[in-house]
Amino acid sequence: MQGFSITDLVVASVLLAGLYATMAYGLGLIYGVLRVVNLNHGGVIMAGAYVGLVMHEKLGVDPYLSIPVVLVVSFALGIAIYVGLVRHLPRGAAGGVQSLLLLFGVWLVLQNAAYLLFTGNDQTIRTEYSTRSIPAFGLFLSVNRLVVFVIAVLTMVVLHLFLTRTFTGKAIRAVAQNPDSCTLVGIDVERIYSLTFGIGTALAGLAGVLGASLFSFNPTYGSGDLLKSFVIVVLGGLGSVMGTAAAALILALVEVFAILVLPAYLTGAVGFVLLVLVLVLRPGGLFGQRVLG
Amino acid sequence: MKLLPHWVSRPALIALLAALAVLAVLPKALGLSVYVQNLFTETFLFVAAALAWNWMGGYLGQVSFGHSAMFGLGGFVSGRLLLAPHLPFPLAWIVGGLLAAAYALVWGHPTLRLRGPYFSIATIGVGEATRLVMTYWEEFTGGSSGLSLPITPGLKSELYWWGLLVMGAVVAASYALRKSTLGLGLLAIKSDVDAAADVGISPTLMQDIVLLLSGFTVGVCGAFYASYQNYIEPGDMFGFRTSISFVLMAVIGGVGTILGPALGAVIFVILRQYLIGSYPQLYLGIYGLLLIVVILFEPLGMVGLFFRVARRFGLVRPEVQAKAAVGGAASAREGGVP
Repeated sequence: MQGFSITDLVVASVLLAGLYATMAYGLGLIYGVLRVVNLNHGGVIMAGAYVGLVMHEKLGVDPYLSIPVVLVVSFALGIAIYVGLVRHLPRGAAGGVQSLLLLFGVWLVLQNAAYLLFTGNDQTIRTEYSTRSIPAFGLFLSVNRLVVFVIAVLTMVVLHLFLTRTFTGKAIRAVAQNPDSCTLVGIDVERIYSLTFGIGTALAGLAGVLGASLFSFNPTYGSGDLLKSFVIVVLGGLGSVMGTAAAALILALVEVFAILVLPAYLTGAVGFVLLVLVLVLRPGGLFGQRVLG
Repeated sequence: MKLLPHWVSRPALIALLAALAVLAVLPKALGLSVYVQNLFTETFLFVAAALAWNWMGGYLGQVSFGHSAMFGLGGFVSGRLLLAPHLPFPLAWIVGGLLAAAYALVWGHPTLRLRGPYFSIATIGVGEATRLVMTYWEEFTGGSSGLSLPITPGLKSELYWWGLLVMGAVVAASYALRKSTLGLGLLAIKSDVDAAADVGISPTLMQDIVLLLSGFTVGVCGAFYASYQNYIEPGDMFGFRTSISFVLMAVIGGVGTILGPALGAVIFVILRQYLIGSYPQLYLGIYGLLLIVVILFEPLGMVGLFFRVARRFGLVRPEVQAKAAVGGAASAREGGVP
């Protein structure tokens, strides 16, 4: 206990959970609607981080102000991947492994593109408030972590409202339930699929730029986040905002509190072990049975 | 010929023996340079590893992204045995393989209940957790500075024939696993687990057998690699990159076939050799592109492409198809939720 109090750790977990929920929700949304495991999720997280870096270094844009750009870029990337690649594969169980391998190929390409463009060096986005923290509730909270948390919470609220209150959002949930019936009532299922893939990918990009303001990153960044997203989706059930948030909090708590019992180097393994345990011990409740909303 | 089981085709047997015989005399006959001979050795190693991966990924349809765990374990166990008790290397390889197989069973037995993408995701977790723990465990693996193995003079060129032996055994095992009764059971499991169980095939037992064999072979390959390199490092041996190279070789060559993964391994070694010097990162990107193209246009990889071209030019009868299917492609009924 290097001067950590339990409150410190809990607060740190909660702040981390916001970021985790954002990245996991994108993965869960795509799986829930398209039944496609987006193995490229980590690739887009990495890409989002680098878009933030370029905006910051070349144009001097604050990483948080570059979020709209990142969203647009990764949304377009998602649509392109769906229309160009994923659409041509059989969906559901039959295409499960195929789409997994295909998206894995896309990830490899993205990763190597990043190596070519930015080399394998660790990068950071440093702003003047990077190391600043503000006192609150008797603790010192990092400004960056607070901002990331607030943005994450806002994103989840907006998503929830979008999925429950708008026509398109309801259409997405309907397609998740039964695509065949949707064609009967005049929903353009193909359009919903590409839109969902775009939104899911945009969320990954957002998680990337948010993560980039907290951590250093290189072209392999995102692989850990991909697995953490799986843990959260598996734990929290599909598409439920509350479930995702709760699962993200559980993962963050486990990870942060692992520091107390494990050497720091091994805390990274906690998420992976948790992933395997959850998959093995709860195979029936895998990805939950709950439909979006 | 009563000596052979009924499922062994004699032309195939003769072709394999002939190929092995040619390869065995090749270095002496052509006077290959050390460099080329080592490339061959490396290719043998990766052919064996890719085929062993293919027993899981192709025959069972369970795509593993975690085979580096066995590769690394085999390598480090054998490395330790070569260093401290000075075991002769074939023995160290076998012990390394056995421990790798045991480890495969430990994580594989529970995770193999998962089907399709879920199994693949779990294997990523297994592979990465193993890498982190092994890199941390300095007494065993030497940590991030790795392990240097004793250099025996002349061993590296001798490994050519050892590699050939390993590859020959693995090709024969692949053939047996494909054609024997066990192989038919595996095909049944891949097509439909529940139906296979209904007709009296035990999926759990079969999967565990394949897992043990695959883990053992990949462990031996890791041990071989350790002897070949004289220096091993956990970040490389247990790395995700090692796992995916098996996946890429098998899928691009033609998953589920025997020739496919072998061909994929040959291409992998050649491509890597040419690219790694000038663009150390690029070769995986090129493989990623190949992977996308294969999945989109020719799920049976190079072998499927070969048959397509051969049919077009009337070299084989139209009904002849590469007899395998991609994991998932044929298993249309494999449930999303296990």
